[in-house]
Amino acid sequence: MTEQTETIALLRNSAAGFAKFDGKRIRGWRGNAPGFDRDLWGRMAAQGWFSILAAEEEGGLGLGVEAAAAVAEQLGRACAPEPFVASGVLGPALLSQATNQALKQDLMPAVLSGDLLVSLAWQPAGGALPPESTGVTAQRRNGGLVLDGDARFINPAQADGYMVLAREPGGLLLVWVDAKAFDGALSEEPGPDGIPSGRLRLSGIELADSAVLMSGNRVAEAVQGALDQAVIVQSAELCGLMQRALDMTLDYLKTRQQFGVAIGSFQALQHRSVDLFIQQELARHATAAAIQKAEAGAAGRDLSLAASSAKARAAEAAMTIGTQAIQLHGAIGFTDEYDLGLYVNRIVRLAASLGNAAWHRRRFGDLSEGA
Amino acid sequence: MSFQYGVTQERDWNALSDAEFRRIVRAEFETHYPAHLRYAPRRLRWHENRDWYLRMAEKGWIAPNWPVEYGGMGLSAAKLLIFQEEAERWGIGRYQDHGTLMLGPVLLRWGTEEQRRQYLPDVLSCKAIWCQGYSEPGSGSDLASLKTRAVREGDAFVITGQKIWTTLAQDATHMFVLVRTDFEAKKQEGISFLLVDLAQDGVTIRPIRDMAGHEEFCEVFLDGVRTPASNLVGELNKGWTVAKSLLGFERIHVGSPKMPEYGLTVLEKIARARGLWDDPAFREKYVRLKLDVAHLSDAYNHFTGIVVRGEALGQDISYLKIWATESFQRIADLVIETAGPFAALNGEVEIGDTSVDVLASFYKARPPTIYGGSNEIQRNILAQQVLGLPRR
Repeated sequence: MTEQTETIALLRNSAAGFAKFDGKRIRGWRGNAPGFDRDLWGRMAAQGWFSILAAEEEGGLGLGVEAAAAVAEQLGRACAPEPFVASGVLGPALLSQATNQALKQDLMPAVLSGDLLVSLAWQPAGGALPPESTGVTAQRRNGGLVLDGDARFINPAQADGYMVLAREPGGLLLVWVDAKAFDGALSEEPGPDGIPSGRLRLSGIELADSAVLMSGNRVAEAVQGALDQAVIVQSAELCGLMQRALDMTLDYLKTRQQFGVAIGSFQALQHRSVDLFIQQELARHATAAAIQKAEAGAAGRDLSLAASSAKARAAEAAMTIGTQAIQLHGAIGFTDEYDLGLYVNRIVRLAASLGNAAWHRRRFGDLSEGA
Repeated sequence: MSFQYGVTQERDWNALSDAEFRRIVRAEFETHYPAHLRYAPRRLRWHENRDWYLRMAEKGWIAPNWPVEYGGMGLSAAKLLIFQEEAERWGIGRYQDHGTLMLGPVLLRWGTEEQRRQYLPDVLSCKAIWCQGYSEPGSGSDLASLKTRAVREGDAFVITGQKIWTTLAQDATHMFVLVRTDFEAKKQEGISFLLVDLAQDGVTIRPIRDMAGHEEFCEVFLDGVRTPASNLVGELNKGWTVAKSLLGFERIHVGSPKMPEYGLTVLEKIARARGLWDDPAFREKYVRLKLDVAHLSDAYNHFTGIVVRGEALGQDISYLKIWATESFQRIADLVIETAGPFAALNGEVEIGDTSVDVLASFYKARPPTIYGGSNEIQRNILAQQVLGLPRR
């Protein structure tokens, strides 16, 4: 075993041991701000999980998406509500590219320790994903900045601070905004998994120049790169979710008796199960292939292609497995009491976040066209 | 080695880097394979591609999968995959290659030294062309119910029965055949694996015309056909085990993404010729299929990795065949939809300033979901042996 595979195996094992499915816990956080367990978040940090994508000189582990994906898959299997991908992966991945060294050195240790929960805010009210379509604008005024606009689909909603992507006449800016800097600008919209999305309506928020994390031509590329990394890791989380949803379904088919036999002995149901299994396997290998490309140094368009390939399959496979799992369970699968619903609701949320299957298929097609 | 198979290799292929080996194979194919036979819309007949395969035989390249000491190229799994990938990439048409693909590995695993010496040299020189006698009119998916009987008479077996869907039997000189030798035993336990010379009285080969108008498979009638008892491969009544052992590397091959990849290039050609390439409705369908094939390729690479590392393939390999063959069918469906009125024209069709055989992929995509264990049988296997769902 190489050092890399050994590290990955260790991370996977510790994540599997750490993240156990707990339906009572998940149900308890539904609708209760922030929608997940901040104490657990701290313990996840202590495992080193948020340090995976941060460089070693910044106090991180300097590992790649493969390590993050190994953790995310286990969190998916446990249906954990904690925003590992949206904050624990995307946060450090983007922050580590900031050019404002003073601010970065200030924030990074707290992000890696879990004390500082960060979100990226950029999607406009219509939900567009490209960095250039950010819903926030910035103006330079009196040696400082003023932010205006509307950013939606912010995850986690209640963060300690937000990396806000803003457009100014000359290009894009990535700005750090402490949650205390605005009052009443944050609202929440509920999610199917019981975890809210945030919406920031910013009106004349004044900030010092020192709040700029990075500016210039590199911003769009840096944000896109971090988002693509997050999308690959999110695909792994979806793999974990769909694996458990399918496992639960197969167990049910083996035990549920009707007409005097286990319903899993019916060929119609066997063949449908196999088709779901095929989707699960394709998602696994498509995600593994994307991870491999990222680990081999794919960047820019190549990384976007890899991410879209993985997410297009993972999102569609997870939705197919989730919805078919309900059907194969029958009425019990549609109840809140039965755990399957927790998985399906989480799948619905993640499949639609950071680009759904149709969006990624379109991007994959457009980008491969430019080859 | 006391016996020589008459084939020597120019070099130790496995000692070359993968890239170097690929370059050599590609150069050979691109330089010498007849251009008009590339990507043939149907299986080629022996009189059409004989020259090419005699050249391969001459060169010592006819049996890439066999060990060097038996006259093969002795390729490692990794090199063998490269060889096959390059053949598929260049659209090289297969001949009736069951002799190298199936019979060779069977005799190396189960045959006697005498059987190897008697039969392998003629396979290597293409003097003998072998076909596979498995399916019968009443035994398709339920192959083990086969009824062709072989009765021992002195030093010979006398065979009577009928085989069907025998690929290119009209080109074959020999057939390996599954026959029932114990009429009391349970289905699988009364079957034996025999080698038969087809050039004798009592053998009738009748080609079956398929719906594309081609004759790629046959009926083979065996009426009191004799074969020496020494042509029994493996033990008597253990033929099922012998036949099943063939299903290793082959199962990766039927899951190769090359066929659907080729289908996508045909689809693109037609869409461009008809001005539909930028049509959003077409693109949505096209990209979906493109990703289906990309992910087939990702899964295929996973399985070839297992083979290259020398590890055993699991039963889950069956899904590769399902996904490869059904993806190809979906592509063929979209070819027809995209071609519009041109799908009403058979053979090479002129569309705009290009020409393409529109219906070739439609016809080519039909048999693979049926042969080699139909996709329904593959789904049964996966459900019961991989997912652990109960039998009825």
